[in-house]
Amino acid sequence: MATKGMKLYSVCCLLLWVITAVFAGRDFYKILGVSKSASIRDIKKAYRKLALQLHPDRNQDDPKAQDKFADLGAAYEVLSDEEKRKQYDAYGEDGLKEGHHSSHNDIFSSFFGDFGFMFGGNRQQQDRNIPRGNDIVLDLEVTLEEVYAGNFVEVVRNKPVAKEAPGKRKCNCRPEMRTTQLGPGRFQMTQEMVCDECPNVKLVNEERTLEVEIEQGVRDEMEYPFIGEGEPHIDGEPGDLRFRIKVLKHRVFERRGDDLYTNVTISLVEALVGFEMDIIHLDGHKVHIVRDKVTKPGARMWKKGEGLPNFDNINIRGSLIITFDVEFPQTQMDEKQKNGIRNLLKQGSIQKVYNGLQGY
Amino acid sequence: MKMESSYAVLLKLLVFFVLWSHFEGRETEYKDVTCGSLVKLMNTRHSVRLHSHDVKYGSGSGQQSVTGVENADDGNSYWQIRGKANHPCQRGTAIKCGQPIRFTHMKTGRNLHTHHFSSPLSNNQEVSAFGENGEGDDLDVWTVQCDGVHWERNDAVRFKHVGTNVFLSVTGEQYGPPIRGQWEVHGMTSPNQHNWWQVMEGVFIQPSQDPLHQSAHHTEL
Repeated sequence: MATKGMKLYSVCCLLLWVITAVFAGRDFYKILGVSKSASIRDIKKAYRKLALQLHPDRNQDDPKAQDKFADLGAAYEVLSDEEKRKQYDAYGEDGLKEGHHSSHNDIFSSFFGDFGFMFGGNRQQQDRNIPRGNDIVLDLEVTLEEVYAGNFVEVVRNKPVAKEAPGKRKCNCRPEMRTTQLGPGRFQMTQEMVCDECPNVKLVNEERTLEVEIEQGVRDEMEYPFIGEGEPHIDGEPGDLRFRIKVLKHRVFERRGDDLYTNVTISLVEALVGFEMDIIHLDGHKVHIVRDKVTKPGARMWKKGEGLPNFDNINIRGSLIITFDVEFPQTQMDEKQKNGIRNLLKQGSIQKVYNGLQGY
Repeated sequence: MKMESSYAVLLKLLVFFVLWSHFEGRETEYKDVTCGSLVKLMNTRHSVRLHSHDVKYGSGSGQQSVTGVENADDGNSYWQIRGKANHPCQRGTAIKCGQPIRFTHMKTGRNLHTHHFSSPLSNNQEVSAFGENGEGDDLDVWTVQCDGVHWERNDAVRFKHVGTNVFLSVTGEQYGPPIRGQWEVHGMTSPNQHNWWQVMEGVFIQPSQDPLHQSAHHTEL
């Protein structure tokens, strides 16, 4: 009797679990690989990385690729919108109102541009005979703080888009040779412009939001292309929009590759007796420095791992190199102080003359 | 039960207020023209877009010419809005009315510029594109003239030159070959119907969140 009861109990439990699993819907946080407290920037970054990996064009052997990609799009759509995320957190996927769903294509193209994404091959390898509109290059200024931590820039792209219009227009106009007969045995070759007839188009301005990622460790002059977001071509394809990174100079840190250089001025007393200090890094964390020995002017300290993340592997960091210079007292000393210093330091006169420019 | 419901109401009001104010904030940002944006500028009286190209004036200063073009899909009509030299304007910040700015021609890297030379067709003041890689001189600076606080995308505004005090204008003169069909752009001393401009197509940069803590930059506005 007890086992029968137990069996019924476990079946009920299983049924209940299945029902809740079905009704709970998908775990969007898990799909994106972010924590429940992830910031909007974390979510955008996760989406962008996974979208490149999971795009069906890139996973043609995987029968589940379309579903995985669709899940990713749905997860981003909900978690990137404050209101929808609140509803999802409270009520799960089914708690979401049947509002307007943006197509995954829209979401994907706001990160990468139109016409999907050309994996591997260059866009130039496409049919060269299709005329293309101009490319647009925007110099995007980024701060060193953004290079360290990463960031997203939202832009609104307003561009002319070809729309159908009534009537026909001349297109693909090209010169062709025509032979006309002037008389018996006399011919003339002339050049004529020959055009095709195409449906009429007009240019209408449209707007959309694009998301540009400033990836951690990004280098000066690196470009982020958005396919098809350039200038339109009435007989062909639009050009691309490219964001060219321009890293701005920083008041405290100088970048060399993945390393950061900075300078600290200390007092003569600190140089002689030692000191302790903090350097505030690009993301606000403190780099603690302790010296208990004498610090010479020009002395350098290497702090491994305190540089910038490497663009290709953000787990690797460069170093922070700190160069110290010493500020000597500005005021002149009286005879008593001078004697005090002579007695204290007990350093005889040196006065060595040498050629400092040739390494002697 | 009673306390719970009033607390819930209060919470809902708070959430609503937070969302509303956040939403409001976002709306104003999308309306403004911001630093770093790449735009096309259209003269509202004559419907031509500010344009430049690697063609020099045959008279006046002999510098790179600036014209107006009728078509909307020319890649040579893009200008990037930047701050004055040594007074960088933080990317994404809305530009205030009266603020000094520079316009850098995207394709050639030269700045919108004017000086005491005569324009070839109308004898107004010649407007050229000057400099290399976005750096020219003090005569590259213009102020945005508009009502209100910020330069909004829907506004028609004027551009007044700092240095010679002329207004960027188009009055209707058109060139012959090699730039047939393009219009003359010049500087005029008085504000009138010919010097209204509006941003059209472009890439408008929105303000970003500060990554983690205050940037060490000065922001001069």
